[in-house]
Amino acid sequence: MGSTLKRRAFLQMAAAAGVTAPFVRTAAAAGDTATIGWPNDVPSWDPNQRFTPDAQPIFKAVYDQPLDQDAQLKLIPHLIKKWELAPDATSMAVELRDDVTFHNGDKMNAEDFRYTFLERIKSGVKLDTANSWKKVEDIVIESPTKATMKFNAPNPTAPQWMAFLGSYMVPKKYIESGGLENFQKKPVGTGPYKLAEYELNSRIVLERNDQYWGPKAKVARVTIQIIKDPSARVAAIQSGQADFTLNVPVREVQRFQSQSGFAAELNPITRVILLQVRADLNFADENVRLAAHHAIDKAALSKAFYGGAAVPLSVVATPGSPGYLPDFTFKFDPDLAKALLKKSGHGPDNPVKIGLAATNGQFPSDYDIARAIVQMWKKVGIDADLQVIEYAKYFELNRASKLPEATLYSWDNATGDPEIFSGYLLNPKLPFSAWKDEAVGGRILKLFNVADYNARVAGYREVERFAVEQGATIPLLQSVLTVVRKRNLQYTKYGNGWVLPQTLQWS
Amino acid sequence: MLVTVAQLVARRLLAAVLILFVVSALLFCVLRKLPVDPAAMSLPTTATIAEVEAKRHEMGLDRPLPEQYAIWLTDALHGDFGRSIQFGRDAGSLVAATLPATIELAGAAMVLAAILGLGGGLLLFHLRGTFVEAVADLASILLLSIPEFLWGLILLFVFGVVLQVLPFTGAVSPNLPQPHVTGFLLLDALWVGRLDVFASALRHLILPAFALGLAFSPAIMRVLRSSLFDVYHEDYIQQARLRGLSERQILLRHALKNAALPTLTLAGVQFGILFSGTLLVELIYSYPGMGNLMVDAVRNADLPLIQAIGLTYCVAVLLINTVVDSLYLVLNPKLRVR
Repeated sequence: MGSTLKRRAFLQMAAAAGVTAPFVRTAAAAGDTATIGWPNDVPSWDPNQRFTPDAQPIFKAVYDQPLDQDAQLKLIPHLIKKWELAPDATSMAVELRDDVTFHNGDKMNAEDFRYTFLERIKSGVKLDTANSWKKVEDIVIESPTKATMKFNAPNPTAPQWMAFLGSYMVPKKYIESGGLENFQKKPVGTGPYKLAEYELNSRIVLERNDQYWGPKAKVARVTIQIIKDPSARVAAIQSGQADFTLNVPVREVQRFQSQSGFAAELNPITRVILLQVRADLNFADENVRLAAHHAIDKAALSKAFYGGAAVPLSVVATPGSPGYLPDFTFKFDPDLAKALLKKSGHGPDNPVKIGLAATNGQFPSDYDIARAIVQMWKKVGIDADLQVIEYAKYFELNRASKLPEATLYSWDNATGDPEIFSGYLLNPKLPFSAWKDEAVGGRILKLFNVADYNARVAGYREVERFAVEQGATIPLLQSVLTVVRKRNLQYTKYGNGWVLPQTLQWS
Repeated sequence: MLVTVAQLVARRLLAAVLILFVVSALLFCVLRKLPVDPAAMSLPTTATIAEVEAKRHEMGLDRPLPEQYAIWLTDALHGDFGRSIQFGRDAGSLVAATLPATIELAGAAMVLAAILGLGGGLLLFHLRGTFVEAVADLASILLLSIPEFLWGLILLFVFGVVLQVLPFTGAVSPNLPQPHVTGFLLLDALWVGRLDVFASALRHLILPAFALGLAFSPAIMRVLRSSLFDVYHEDYIQQARLRGLSERQILLRHALKNAALPTLTLAGVQFGILFSGTLLVELIYSYPGMGNLMVDAVRNADLPLIQAIGLTYCVAVLLINTVVDSLYLVLNPKLRVR
């Protein structure tokens, strides 16, 4: 009572001084608007320019992709209503919708499709899509709604990439007439929202596109506040300055779960936490690699750092994704680990020395997980020297093959497709694979050219198991997305962690 | 007096050119020696080793360091500070877009620090010889020991979360537009006649400005108090007493003017540090200034942007010191007779 009276007196004084304003949202306003506390700004409003996973949900509000994924990550028609990949995967015929208009009123057609995936890439503009669509040799336009993509090599995951990073339809006429700079300042897409306002590193205001060809968004105006600090995001939702936020510490989710008025969630997503390993140095010995894997108690890591919500993995694929093997388990067995090490002349009294690299703060609990693993290894006879590396440094070290024996890494794959899981992580020709050998790498390379979807997925399932049994990779956990929202603000939960503004709804 | 001030400013400008040259060279070399790869960072993560090498060659990163610096300097003198790796935009335009917000925040914080420093210093001096003096002294030391980012968190928690009386994210309320005329939000709001936007922007400025002001005012308080102690031993103070002036008149009309000079020198140094202190405070309050941009740049190893922002901070500190030294000349007639 005393503190309530003091608070009341303070509020009265502050109101008299004219410096306060209550942040009470009226019921009518709550239904029309929502504020999301978001961890990062978009790098640019050109959605083809940079591959930034955090920006994809925002881009998907303003732009559309040729194909889309449902909440279970199944590939579904979107701007493309029909597609057919050739049996040899060297071409893909598409049929576009004829009822789509850009926000400026221009009708979308196959010219825009050709422009997005061929012309602007070939024009030399610096776009990350130049890398993902480098196999596109030509796009033949057959009609305003029909076109065929021609690839210079088999491209079996072309449909998946149509729903993945950077693949958003952009308006040819608007960009060519107004210029790229104008497009970046005043972006125009076909999405369920229009960009109403943008302040760098501050906020993004979206207003519903009432001429949208698909289901209209329920919330008319969404404000995305860029709040980079996780504690500040927690404070924003706690104080009511945000209605929804994500990527907050796990312990905060657990705290909010006991507070009325909030819904706090730990949602498993298609992101894998794993140890990337080398085939040489002190990991050249298969016994040492397998011992390192058997020594890790993944359930304990999940319980300690993710409240038990992160699913332990035995393959580099998440439950529900096509490449996942539900019947295969690589067991936690420290005694077996010791036995394997003993075969190679090592043990707790004569430990094998290896290096372990990890980031600190790149993903939740990364450094803590690394330290826990070091302790688990110590018990069986592996002495790991933990080195902290910056995320930016990881790519440089990996390309130059300078990573230590093991590196803790987090890999996001919004499509769930196995090529973008183990295909990328174990392909010796791509910069992600620390493991370089013919046994695993050779199989992976062959799968990149398999056009038949079922054969490709079956091949990946086989090589994933093989890779783990060889000690070529050490999957750890399926990562989780932390979400805290006002209880009456609903949204659609996507298996890949997308939080799409167009799925928000006040109940 | 104006001539003397103009001469000072001219000398400082000449010195600034040399200082900026040295700072830019140092910054350039240090950034190039960091264990990051700007070529790799500017490409998608799917880029192969061959593509990264080609990019490195395109960016001139395989050239000798002095040659790289010479190219950068030539471009910078033409207003081209390079292209941000993360944003894909001209680094200079990014700095220009965010600098006004930092200037507003730093300016407000400097005013608060000056008021709190002046008021606190006078209060500490007034309490001399009383039983409260020790408590006040301890309080000032306690204030001195709390850095700006800790003040930021404390004020956010108390006023933003517990009491919920002040906003702590962004520069203006989500439901209000942000006008763009000069880039200075307070000025722009008045310019377009939106008093609601002005009031909201002012409310959003309160907590971050106080976080900085509270952190930098204790040093000013303590130096002012020490200066007043020194000044009060001078003969003219005794003469003023003999003339029948009250203690209040002596303090404010005679002692303060002379004690302000060393305080002003310290304030100049403090304000220079305060400007760079906006970085962490902007991050905590999601304030869209240059500091927030710098955090992004460092996280993404965006070397052109780090370089541009670093130089801007250098210019700001030089400017602040020049202004303070000019004020020093204005307040101290003895320095003008040379």
